Amino acid sequence: MSNNPGWLDRLTKPPEAVRSENLRKWAETISGATPIGEASEQRRHRVAGVVQNIRIDPRQGSGCIEATVIDGSGEILAKWLGRQSMSGIHLGAGIVIEGMVGVGLDEEKVILNPEYQLVPGPERG
Amino acid sequence: MSRTATALKRLIVGHPISSGELGHTLLPKGIALPVFASDALSSMAYATQEILLVLALVGLAALSLVVPIAIAVALLLAIVIVSYRQIVRAYPGGGGAYVVAYENLGFTAGLAVGAALLLDYILTVSVSITAGGDAIISAIPALADHKVGITLLLIALVTLANLRGSKESGRIFAVPTYGFVVAIYALIITGLVKCLGGCPQAESAGEHLEPEAMLTAFVLLKAFAAGTTALTGVEAIAEGVPVFRFPQSKNAAATLGILGVLSISMFIGVSWLTDHTNVVYTEEATRTVVSQVAHAVFGGGPMFYVIQVLTALILILAANTAYTGFPVLASILAKDKMMPRQFRSRGDRLVFSNGIVILAVSASLLVVIFDANLNKLIQLYLVGVFLSFTLAQAGTVMRWRRMREPGWQKSAAINAFGGAVTGIVLVVVILTKFKSGAWIIILATPLVMFLMRAVYKHYTYVTDQLANPERKPLDRRPGHQHMVILVEQVDAATARAVGYVRSVRPADLHAVAFDDSVRDDWAKLAPQVELTLIPTGESRKARLKKHLRSLRNDLGRDDFLTLVVPEVLRSKGLWQILRQPGLQRLKASFLREPGIQVLDVPLDRSEAQAASETHRSIEPARNYVLVLVAGVHNATLQAIEYAETLRPTDLRAVSFGLDPEATEKLGNDWLASGIPHPLEIDDSPFRDIGGSLIDYVHRFKPDGVKRVVTVVMPEFIVSKRRHQLLHGQTALIIKSRLLFERGVVAVSVPYPIED
Repeated sequence: MSNNPGWLDRLTKPPEAVRSENLRKWAETISGATPIGEASEQRRHRVAGVVQNIRIDPRQGSGCIEATVIDGSGEILAKWLGRQSMSGIHLGAGIVIEGMVGVGLDEEKVILNPEYQLVPGPERG
Repeated sequence: MSRTATALKRLIVGHPISSGELGHTLLPKGIALPVFASDALSSMAYATQEILLVLALVGLAALSLVVPIAIAVALLLAIVIVSYRQIVRAYPGGGGAYVVAYENLGFTAGLAVGAALLLDYILTVSVSITAGGDAIISAIPALADHKVGITLLLIALVTLANLRGSKESGRIFAVPTYGFVVAIYALIITGLVKCLGGCPQAESAGEHLEPEAMLTAFVLLKAFAAGTTALTGVEAIAEGVPVFRFPQSKNAAATLGILGVLSISMFIGVSWLTDHTNVVYTEEATRTVVSQVAHAVFGGGPMFYVIQVLTALILILAANTAYTGFPVLASILAKDKMMPRQFRSRGDRLVFSNGIVILAVSASLLVVIFDANLNKLIQLYLVGVFLSFTLAQAGTVMRWRRMREPGWQKSAAINAFGGAVTGIVLVVVILTKFKSGAWIIILATPLVMFLMRAVYKHYTYVTDQLANPERKPLDRRPGHQHMVILVEQVDAATARAVGYVRSVRPADLHAVAFDDSVRDDWAKLAPQVELTLIPTGESRKARLKKHLRSLRNDLGRDDFLTLVVPEVLRSKGLWQILRQPGLQRLKASFLREPGIQVLDVPLDRSEAQAASETHRSIEPARNYVLVLVAGVHNATLQAIEYAETLRPTDLRAVSFGLDPEATEKLGNDWLASGIPHPLEIDDSPFRDIGGSLIDYVHRFKPDGVKRVVTVVMPEFIVSKRRHQLLHGQTALIIKSRLLFERGVVAVSVPYPIED
């Protein structure tokens, strides 16, 4: 062990960092997908990631669903309005979304009403 | 955890794995065979020996019957394999006996198979590891005195390996399994060649045997039943169809066929050699039958030791299959409400830790009780095996009849025949092994079924209660908030509680104290809030309860009565509970008091000291209210109504750590419910709900003075305390962690489930 000084660092490497690496590897296999961290605003992008967080906000009009999608390089908010059901969107789902990237209230990246496709994610089969 | 402690845990158990990394890799046939067949092949290590033990009771002359009996068992094995090839075709999604029985034969059959399999997995571990220990002792007879210790040590090692979990286990299986097959074939072929010039004799050949019984049909049946242990593990492939490469059913059926050919040839070969080397085997023997045959054929050379090592390894792998099977079955049963929900969840390393621990403890217990005696343990085995064989095949027949796919009659006939044969063998096993130990399983199975049924009934009842009477959000006037502050002393926590309560502006507010000494300080802190002294008499808990009950009686059904408990925390974590047992018990007892909520305003000691000497109550300007939800039901709706009375700056429901499918359902239910508040569903990727909640709370930057986060927890309370165990301790664990977060107020809103 003494000839490998990094072993303690490796053991204490945050699991979040390991997860990000794994997500990146997966997202790179989806054709035509831009890493979220590199998706520039006011342009149309196709990004692939995993649903990290879902928000249903009736105050913003009935059936407003928001999903935070992460791919290890950054996060983006996908926002759909006027939906009566989740139509397959769930936590951990692999998803490919495409649309115009905008900026939200907290400077976060947002795509409004993106086209989306559920794909087998790197996580949960 | 400190860095060293973390590093230590990682070193032993490994890195936490995020739920996502569960993804399965599909196995080619060459890897699938060792993964699923190790259990079935490993029984070759002791099946012949079991037959011999029964025949030895009749005397030396009867020992030659081992070959015809082995052939009869092999025939049975062939029938079951042919039948299971049909099950694999019928259930490409994986036809575990439990699923097949529950789906086609109903609840009780599912229950029976579930119970039988759980017990069987435990026995698989005890039997396989004990047999593995025997193989080690055959190689090194000096260890014979430490048999129980060796067996327990092996169980501990396998348990640890499984708590770590492994993604690459398939390849680890391949080497010892193929090695074992090759070694046994080498043994058989070398033996046959040597027999051309007169068979070598085993070390026990010619030992004297005192006949204890006559050769009767019963003894023959008993020997046959003992040999059927060769069939254990055949069902594993049927359960594993979804992890085969495409075309899955075809590949699984082919693998079953290969397994059949291997098992039958090895079993008959070993039995034939046993007969021709004239092995005599009794309970007193130190060396196993296979090791005696190997010793006779190879002498004491390296091949003898190779066979012992490979035998021990494959037996440990066989035990390992139970470690995968048991927790998965337990989690399926928990999903179907037949086992406590704690078995549903995975641990740090994405394995079902609870199931693994229960399995290891039960198997170790059996080893100790039966003194690591393989022959005694094996008597308990087989009842469950044949019960699930029979019900799985019967269930598949029902499925063929229902679906009527082309050519179904032939498949149904094969399964019906197989089911009938295993049914008869089940009866034979019960009759011949009843006295020697099977009775334990025959008693235990219905007992486990009864417990599972009780769990099922309880969960179903709770679900019904939570949906009944049907509540609709906001279909009536919201209730009023009535608050009572408990004043034990006037300190910084009390001041903060007064500030908090003021911001809520309840319809009614007063303070209660147990003794008059706090009156002056109170008058300085909150002159406008009336302080009521609770009359002396019984215990403080009983007096406070009486007081609150009388208040409660005057309130409307939809009103809330909140007991506000200010608390200065003196020590971390559980120590706090030990330090102030009275206060904690008091809070807990109000959970069972219908219509009363307990709101905790905790303050860390350092924070309390930092607060100035003169306590002033400051109303927080921002109160972010989070309602923890896991589903849309009455307990949730009540908690949301409660949260609405707190004059929140922001009110939202949050949910952590649900199964992916459950999150979609929760979202759909929320959209349909018309609840006018946002719901946030967050992942808890490492399944630490408390930690995820605390991270979430930090986003609001609570400081306790200007910004407060209130966490509202709906809790359903069942009247029998033992039932409470079935509902997990998540709320309790979360609460004990939340208390130590600055600026967090925690409220329990109990929802009573009446029995």
